[in-house]
Amino acid sequence: MKSVNNSVIIKGNNYGIIVVLSPDISFEELKEQVTEKFRESSKFFKKAKMAISFEGRTLSNDEQREILNIIESNTDMQIVCIIEDDPKKEELFKKTLEQKLMELENNTGQFYKGILRSGASLEFDNSVVIIGDVNNGARVVSKGNIIVLGSLKGTAYAGASGNTNSFVVALDMRPTQIRIADTIARSPDKPLKDEVKEAKIAFLEDGNIYIEPLNKSVINDIRL
Amino acid sequence: MGEVIVVTSGKGGVGKTTTTANVGTGLAMLEKKVVLIDTDIGLRNLDVVMGLENRIVYNLVDVIEGNCRIRNALIKDKRYPNLYLLPSAQTRDKNSVTPEQMRKLADELREEFDYILMDCPAGIEQGFRNAIAGADKALVVTTPEVSAVRDADRIIGLLEANEMQETYLVVNRLRMDMVKRGDMMSSEDVTEILAIDLIGVVPDDESIVISTNQGEPLVGSDSLAGRAYMNIARRLAGDEVPFLDLNERNSFFSKLFGKNRRY
Repeated sequence: MKSVNNSVIIKGNNYGIIVVLSPDISFEELKEQVTEKFRESSKFFKKAKMAISFEGRTLSNDEQREILNIIESNTDMQIVCIIEDDPKKEELFKKTLEQKLMELENNTGQFYKGILRSGASLEFDNSVVIIGDVNNGARVVSKGNIIVLGSLKGTAYAGASGNTNSFVVALDMRPTQIRIADTIARSPDKPLKDEVKEAKIAFLEDGNIYIEPLNKSVINDIRL
Repeated sequence: MGEVIVVTSGKGGVGKTTTTANVGTGLAMLEKKVVLIDTDIGLRNLDVVMGLENRIVYNLVDVIEGNCRIRNALIKDKRYPNLYLLPSAQTRDKNSVTPEQMRKLADELREEFDYILMDCPAGIEQGFRNAIAGADKALVVTTPEVSAVRDADRIIGLLEANEMQETYLVVNRLRMDMVKRGDMMSSEDVTEILAIDLIGVVPDDESIVISTNQGEPLVGSDSLAGRAYMNIARRLAGDEVPFLDLNERNSFFSKLFGKNRRY
């Protein structure tokens, strides 16, 4: 009587199969088991187009190719892609992707013309130049930088997805609140009277938000 | 074809009803055919300020619901035969009419009147949406106070979003003595924040309190407020009127030397 060998277990749904492979047997034996299992179940899968994922045993690229060949010669299935479930690789991909996207967001920008009135809220994936005022009670959110060619009296939130290099510039900087990445700063309770009206920049340094006049040396320090 | 003007503010108590009553009466004094509509359903006030509350038989909701014809609900003013009031209902609420119904009503009244003034309730909800529905122009009333200006800014944003073609600012209850001391915003400060065209500045005036209590709008009288309201009416009618010098005081001497004859 043939004993049921569980060195190869096939799990699946409508879109993909997970092939659970035992790490204990040799690769040659494994190939035999794979051949048999898939031959037995080929009627079940018919001409399905599937994604595949391997579990339980680390396979080299060559080994993976061999297994795929076995599956395809013993069934009518079409394996469309291999899904790899490696947490380290996933983390690396994620970090690189997010960094690249952040750089893109910072380097590209768009323009918005008009007065942002109280109650209005605008969100931008890219940096934005607002040609107009941002009134008290209005809000601008950007994953990049925010430049207001007018008065900023409302709330500005730059670097909304975590970019600490983001900055806010305004010709008349009197914001209610400024946020850069994860840091919030609020305006003083008693506003300074008779301030000179000049362009100012708000940026993040050592976990604090600084607001300084926009002069040459500060501009030099801006990092995109 | 008449013009439909909504008088709104956002903030309550800044002078929408007073402005509607006085500007409307002012336009009637300029021989225009005017109807004032109180759209504050449930908290009606325009009838009180016009002194017509004991003449109310039918109201705006009756007209919308078809219980009566518009003509039955309109109340002719005590003083001017070309001025009418369509009062609001006191026993219903703002969900009793829809913006679409208000638009239809406005279109019907346009055929007969030169100016239709809608007195808008405070707030930004259904009452506001009803009042702006049929309007061609908006008068935004504010006092020179931070909270009122904040609300006015919100309202202007909503009017712009609703594609209101023309929006004008009325700065109400200005006190020049406080402005000079630096304790109050000037009308220039307000206009700079709100960035819409100024159509009138009305000084704070005790006689307004008396006039609203007695139900007799004071537009056209010699008080500064009376003259300011008349100027707004004239500007709406197309006249270019220079702004009053609000530093003037209503003193005996200025009356004597005819200083208050300036418009």
